[in-house]
Amino acid sequence: MIKMEQINKIYRPHSNPVHALRDVDLHIEIGDFVAIMGPSGSGKSTLMNVMGCLDTPSSGAYWLGGVEVSSMNSDQLATVRNQKIGFVFQNYNLLPRMTALRNVELPMLYAGVNKDERNTRALDCIGRVGMLDRIHHRPSELSGGQCQRIAIARALVNNPDIILADEPTGNLDSATSLEIMNLFQSLYQENTTIVLVTHEEDIAAFARRVLTFRDGKLVNDEILNPHLIEPSAVEGGGDI
Amino acid sequence: MNLGESIRVAWDSIRANMLRSILTTLGIMIGIAAVIAVVAVGQGGQQSIMKEMEQFGSNLFYITVDWRRDELPTGKEFTMQDIEIIKANVPELEYLLPCAQTYSTIKGRNKSKTAQILGTEADYARLHPLKITAGRFLNNSDCQGKRRVVVIDEELAQELFPRDNALGKRIVIGNQALVVCGLLKAENSMFSMGTKVIYIPTRVWLDIYPNGGISYIEGGTRSPEDVKTAMQSSIKVLEKRHHSEDLYQGMDMEQEIQAVNKVTGVMTLVIGIIAGFSLLVGGIGVMNIMLVSVTERTREIGLRMALGARRRDILIQFLIEAIVLCLLGGIIGMTLGIGGAFLISALAKWPPLVSWTTVLLAFTFSATIGIVFGILPANQAANLDPIEALRRD
Ligand SMILES: Nc1ncnc2c1ncn2[C@@H]1O[C@H](COP(=O)(O)OP(=O)(O)OP(=O)(O)O)[C@@H](O)[C@H]1O
Ligand SMILES: [Mg+2]
Repeated sequence: MIKMEQINKIYRPHSNPVHALRDVDLHIEIGDFVAIMGPSGSGKSTLMNVMGCLDTPSSGAYWLGGVEVSSMNSDQLATVRNQKIGFVFQNYNLLPRMTALRNVELPMLYAGVNKDERNTRALDCIGRVGMLDRIHHRPSELSGGQCQRIAIARALVNNPDIILADEPTGNLDSATSLEIMNLFQSLYQENTTIVLVTHEEDIAAFARRVLTFRDGKLVNDEILNPHLIEPSAVEGGGDI
Repeated sequence: MNLGESIRVAWDSIRANMLRSILTTLGIMIGIAAVIAVVAVGQGGQQSIMKEMEQFGSNLFYITVDWRRDELPTGKEFTMQDIEIIKANVPELEYLLPCAQTYSTIKGRNKSKTAQILGTEADYARLHPLKITAGRFLNNSDCQGKRRVVVIDEELAQELFPRDNALGKRIVIGNQALVVCGLLKAENSMFSMGTKVIYIPTRVWLDIYPNGGISYIEGGTRSPEDVKTAMQSSIKVLEKRHHSEDLYQGMDMEQEIQAVNKVTGVMTLVIGIIAGFSLLVGGIGVMNIMLVSVTERTREIGLRMALGARRRDILIQFLIEAIVLCLLGGIIGMTLGIGGAFLISALAKWPPLVSWTTVLLAFTFSATIGIVFGILPANQAANLDPIEALRRD
């Protein structure tokens, strides 16, 4: 699914360079549930941006679903983000003037999905996150946890290969955080590939595999919950 | 993203800042309103002037003594003999009328009134669309025989003789009494300013005003093509008889129409320049507010990019927003302009002319302003870096 080889990311390479990722080699299989941990400034968000095709690495090769994406132009990257990736943000990033339903429909607008199918698929995903009673509410009329559920529905709606969540529980209290993590875990059970960044051990504890970063380097890679479903056991596992 | 959805997004964001949006488009509103109103009133006015002129006929011409002269050199005025000699020498002519005019008080039974006294001849009725409703117009024997007769219109008749039929009654002009021999349908010309014209034989006029003279000669040809030749030949005859050059001036409808076109042309140009500036200022206002909008919605732009919007999707979205904003101003301006045109026209007493071309032009114009002044902000939005944009608050 995801394969990274010798990925480096250097911000401001000419004046005062910051080496945010150093020689990262990484392999994530379809259907896996991965948590990324590490101290502040260790490069977790940078890695997520590269993985999510929002940013390009300074050097190294990156395959997403068997396609080399590190050399794509911005339009191609936009299409990859639209089709293969679902983002979940710490601050939800819902558009305030739109209802929950329209927020969830947004990625499909850029995929050229017709109106009826947009509606059907959006309602289906909102159902999966348990928010069908709130589809006509605006984000300002929803709680933080409810907003994040809608955001997760939006991430799911184009059937992406992978969900990338950068500190999805960072703005939530611990009870709500656990609800959201249970939701992620149930999505994982339904065979969704998830990569999430967190600072908290008990959040990371929901994942099957935990990667730890320090100073841009991948320093630890462990299987935390071997009893969870093995990605390789899933049909079509491994690289595509 | 499809067009309908882009328009919906644009409309949502404009509606979210309704007051700001309307204030922004004020310049465009005023510009479009000015153009629409002026064009409508101008075209309406031009059309009514033209219509009035066409009624006079394109086979007509006038000869006057040059107006720019302070004084008419003695012995150079038109005489009745001039008329006879021109008639004999210019074969293209069908009619030639010596016309004398002045303003004077006329008295009916016991009412009096100021009117324009026009001394003319029988053929006048054939050159001008006068409608006789009772009696008759001046005829040739009235004119040759200096009969003391006068033709007035019904409204004047009503004012002078409120209780009786004016036909056959006496009217006193100067020291002469004239008999009303015909009544005309009242018509208020745009040029008349409410003053009535009454018609008497030229020779009678010259008797009443012995110090006055023939003011102008009105000629008519069988076909409009002969107007220029007939006019020039007539002027030649006059110049030869009076031994003077450049004293007599000819004028035909073609020149009149050109003069009107020139005036309306200048007016349109001036208003066009004012409106142009107003639209320019309006366009800059729109650009400014779109730049503000892009800054305010940086995170939205970043999010849309993260969700798969290409640069061109963002560009089009903001361009459409600028166009919708300008069209909003354009539509309000158009409404105000049409309203204003009807108001002005009601005061000026001629119908406004709002053509589809004008409306279409206003629409295209507003949209064009949207594109021209929206391109910079839209481009700025499209060139944002998604990560930077997402991080902005
Ligand atoms: N746009 C940028 N320009 C320059 N330096 C940057 C930029 N973005 C990140 N950095 C630097 O790169 C390093 C890694 O940043 P990153 O945001 O990936 O850390 P992080 O692991 O997500 O931290 P946190 O847990 O605080 O979110 C940091 O030292 C940061 O200062
Ligand atoms: Mg981070």
